[in-house]
Amino acid sequence: MECVVQGIIETQLDVPVLRKVHAVPFVGPVASEVRLLCDLEHSEPTWTVKHIGGAMRGAGADQISVLVRSMIESKASKNVLRLFYGLGYKLENELLRVGFAFHFQRGAQITVTVSSINKMLKLHATDEAVPVTPGIQLVEVTAPATPENYSEVVAAVSSFCEYLAPLLHLSKPGISTGVVPTAAAAAASLMSDGGGTTL
Amino acid sequence: MPTKWVLHWHPNPGSTVNSQILNEVSQCAEAINGVKDGRWKATLTLLKPNLREDQSQPGEYPRELLGISLPEQPNKYYFILRGPRIVTEADSSIQVIMEKLQSYKSRIALYFEGYQYQLGDFQLRVGKVVSSHSENLRGIVLEVEYLPISSMEKASQVLGEFVDIWQEAVLKRSLPGSFMHNEPNLSEYGLGDNYTPQHTAVQYAYVMAQLFASQSTQAVRN
Repeated sequence: MECVVQGIIETQLDVPVLRKVHAVPFVGPVASEVRLLCDLEHSEPTWTVKHIGGAMRGAGADQISVLVRSMIESKASKNVLRLFYGLGYKLENELLRVGFAFHFQRGAQITVTVSSINKMLKLHATDEAVPVTPGIQLVEVTAPATPENYSEVVAAVSSFCEYLAPLLHLSKPGISTGVVPTAAAAAASLMSDGGGTTL
Repeated sequence: MPTKWVLHWHPNPGSTVNSQILNEVSQCAEAINGVKDGRWKATLTLLKPNLREDQSQPGEYPRELLGISLPEQPNKYYFILRGPRIVTEADSSIQVIMEKLQSYKSRIALYFEGYQYQLGDFQLRVGKVVSSHSENLRGIVLEVEYLPISSMEKASQVLGEFVDIWQEAVLKRSLPGSFMHNEPNLSEYGLGDNYTPQHTAVQYAYVMAQLFASQSTQAVRN
């Protein structure tokens, strides 16, 4: 299970690469979808199989500003792509995410990723990827949760989003937000603050 | 990592495996000074594609997917597709993912379980084979593991000599069958000389194939 919100920022500076993830959603029989993620950061790529399940529904879910959904991950050996092809799965599309990941402990284990999303013009050609939205980066805030503690995690993520409000709007995936007009000024203010203000 | 051979009991034509043979084999392990060291269990699951009638195009989906859990890797799970010779290692959570995906369903599971024995640099595992569908004994497996060496090539002679000693001990009991070691072509699965749990998983896949083949032959004879 995980809690997640997304937003976008406009990039002003060149951001050095810390993480590249090649995401490959596969579609198989019974209309089942699975994602294969290849972490390209290190010399030896590592693969993860990820299943994102249905989001929590109902009046309670509508009232909270954070998406709560089931999510299961499994590390796998590097031939997992061949395995899923062999199982009859078809590659739907593939994306390259390039950016940073930050980790915070604020009432929950929160991960913030800031990434440019790139599409590949040729199959598996990560060196020839082009940005889907040039100058715009996707910000994702996620935190793992269990059925027992998801309320606390939702509260922690919501509270964290409020801290980030001067810089970006964050909302449930699928709900578009737009950039904060004063984000550049807010960022400059934070950076000129002698590093004294920390999130 | 040690190297391992997985052998299976091959009944003589006209005979079947039974619990008395299993007892005799276990006594063999102790007769050659094996020290009983605890229990072990491996599970092999046969999964089939979960297709609608209009989806069953020949060749598009494999007939079966094998899933294997091994006692020495409790947090891992292994998938094998025999046709394209693929063996994949994943975290145990991959089983939950596959259940959620519902694209492949478990049809039958084989349980390999019994006692393990230490003999100097060797570890022996004697196990009965039972299926999820019935308590009847389906077969007997024997794992022979040589602990000091991880190179299959280098360990081959030592393992071969040990298995010869084992076969002689079993022969003395005049049992209606013998242990066989049909080593699959592991290099076709992309596996090298350095032994890994994937090597074990592929050997178990082939043992399963041998067990089902010999039981089909038996059924035809009967």
